[in-house]
Amino acid sequence: MIIATIRKELHLLARDRAAVFRLLVLPLAFIALFGSVFNSAETGAKRARPIAIWYGAAPLGTPIAAALDGSGVFATVRLGSADEVRARVAAEQLDVGLVIPDDFDPGAGRPAELVIDQGAPLQIRGPVEGAVAAIVDHVLSGGGARPPAVVAKSPPGIRQPLAGISAFQLSVPGNAVLFGFFIALICALSFDEERRTGTWRRLLAAPVPRWKLLIAKLVPYVAVSVMQLGILFGFGAAVFGMKVGGSIPALVVLCVAVACAATSLGLLIASLSATQKQISSLGSFVVLVMGLLGGCMVPRAIMPHLIQTIGLAVPHGWALDGFYTLLVRDGAGFVDVAPQIAAVFGFAIVFAAIGVRRFRFER
Amino acid sequence: MSATPVLALRDLGKRYGERVAVDGVDLVVERGEIVGLLGPNGAGKTTTISMACGVITPDRGTVHIAGHDLATDPYAAKRAIGLVPQDLALYEELTARQNLRFFGELFGFTGARLAARIDAVLAIAGLADRANEPARAFSGGMKRRLNLAIALVHEPTLLVLDEPTVGVDPQSRRHIFDAIRALRDAGLTVLYTSHYMEEVEELCDRVAIMDGGKVVASGTLRELATAHGADGLEVELAGEAAVLALAIEAALALGGTQVGERLHFDARTAWAPVFGALEATGATVAYVGSRRADLETMFLALTGKALRD
Ligand SMILES: Nc1ncnc2c1ncn2[C@@H]1O[C@H](COP(=O)(O)OP(=O)(O)OP(=O)(O)O)[C@@H](O)[C@H]1O
Ligand SMILES: [Mg+2]
Repeated sequence: MIIATIRKELHLLARDRAAVFRLLVLPLAFIALFGSVFNSAETGAKRARPIAIWYGAAPLGTPIAAALDGSGVFATVRLGSADEVRARVAAEQLDVGLVIPDDFDPGAGRPAELVIDQGAPLQIRGPVEGAVAAIVDHVLSGGGARPPAVVAKSPPGIRQPLAGISAFQLSVPGNAVLFGFFIALICALSFDEERRTGTWRRLLAAPVPRWKLLIAKLVPYVAVSVMQLGILFGFGAAVFGMKVGGSIPALVVLCVAVACAATSLGLLIASLSATQKQISSLGSFVVLVMGLLGGCMVPRAIMPHLIQTIGLAVPHGWALDGFYTLLVRDGAGFVDVAPQIAAVFGFAIVFAAIGVRRFRFER
Repeated sequence: MSATPVLALRDLGKRYGERVAVDGVDLVVERGEIVGLLGPNGAGKTTTISMACGVITPDRGTVHIAGHDLATDPYAAKRAIGLVPQDLALYEELTARQNLRFFGELFGFTGARLAARIDAVLAIAGLADRANEPARAFSGGMKRRLNLAIALVHEPTLLVLDEPTVGVDPQSRRHIFDAIRALRDAGLTVLYTSHYMEEVEELCDRVAIMDGGKVVASGTLRELATAHGADGLEVELAGEAAVLALAIEAALALGGTQVGERLHFDARTAWAPVFGALEATGATVAYVGSRRADLETMFLALTGKALRD
């Protein structure tokens, strides 16, 4: 009987264009869009950043340009005049420029000029200013090869991030979770559809206990949701080069947890709404706000602290923490994401408990 | 053998908040009968039927289907019933066959037995050649026929139809009627709800009339006609307006009812005083005719309401 309902719901879903669009087409488009936007920004940063430079007769001009190029961080673009450097940066053709006057002598109060938009965010401008200053300083102090004074390392306890991670490591799970929860809306709408058409009466008239009817109605959506997440992650890996550093079985279990939470949220929405309109408005609102708070659209890591904490009040926040760990940390396994898996299942149980309590079979 | 009735409702009641939807309904349907359940909008027909099928839990009273108590033995009871809901209760995006298959499986049918049943009911509904089209592509009448077929797929003993011909073209209605009669001849018992007097008159062996959540009368059409005075005479008068008004007043005083241009008197009327009184007012009797038992008038007499508004 459960198999019969799974088959029925799958048949219906496959013919429901809006559902297929919401569950697969839209998230794939978002993954591709966000992933490639942030990816080009990121790989751009990995390539050397072009820097406009002008130096006339200053003796240190050539060694400074060489040191910039040799740092691997910058690639100099030599221009014909100081004003041309300023004009190119002002026209946003280049982010940054360096003007070394003929009488360059910092000790005598005649510094070089770093041409950069002082209105740019500190996160962007700070590292550039620091790096240029340090390189110029190094040349001034005599230059030459010198072992690095500071080396960056992750602290022990954090597993090593995968080498060469791309923005798809964020955009795939973010959108998978965001659109994964749309199954809640689709599930809730299907309850309403059955009630409106009267097929719900037929189900109630069948020789099947009511609790079993409810389970038979929900299980297909869990199955569809797992398939959906599988397709999105599979696409992410196959097409967008998303890597899984951790355990695949743990990833699957986390997906099942998300599917359960999303489906029981659907039951909850259905049991709290009386009409199709209410389901649509309440459902979209809940799914989008939860996704936003949980960090599906903007990673929680770059949100203010308070909002980061609020993100843990929705399953999305936990799910994404778990997915990031499994995707980005090499060798991460069940132990590393056990709290996240437990939390997401916890949400599923709470949603289902309230949903079942409020659900009206007869209405 | 005096078998147990196929359906026995005893003192069935249901209220929604302050509104009493069904108020102590007793109804018995014997094997092989077609029983009509008639009533105006809001009489409680759908609610009664829903309780009989286990769709709605009654506040009070009992339901027995083919001897099984719906409260204590619900699955056996439900297997014996096929419900045709008032709405088109089917999955529009599924084909006729997929609809039938799903509901058949819900009733525990599988494999060759299910396949045979599906073919049988497709034939009954006249949909065999459209079986693999989505219900969405069907005409209104074809959807109604599929709605009926779904209720038959698990081979019920009792078929319960809630206004199965709403919005149906004459051709499909005829098809549904013929199907119901053929099924009855094959041993099926039927409870048929309708607004349409002609349908009930044509189809039903017995009728129960509901109003305000109660069964206000039941029996064969003949029994009802005799008991509720639907047989009788109708009289048309001629004369000046003032005279006619006097005559009508006299007629009403003697148990007549005014229906349009005519006056109706039931079969038990003492005729001599009536005609005497009418002619005494100076009015002329222009027409006298006999009136056949007619649910419409019976219904009006019982409930004070027209069946259709
Ligand atoms: N779910 C419900 N909530 C509140 N009131 C209801 C509900 N269902 C039915 N009622 C009320 O119960 C009464 C009986 O309704 P029911 O649907 O049984 O009538 P009916 O005889 O089938 O009418 P119709 O011929 O219009 O189909 C009506 O007054 C109706 O408003
Ligand atoms: Mg009704």
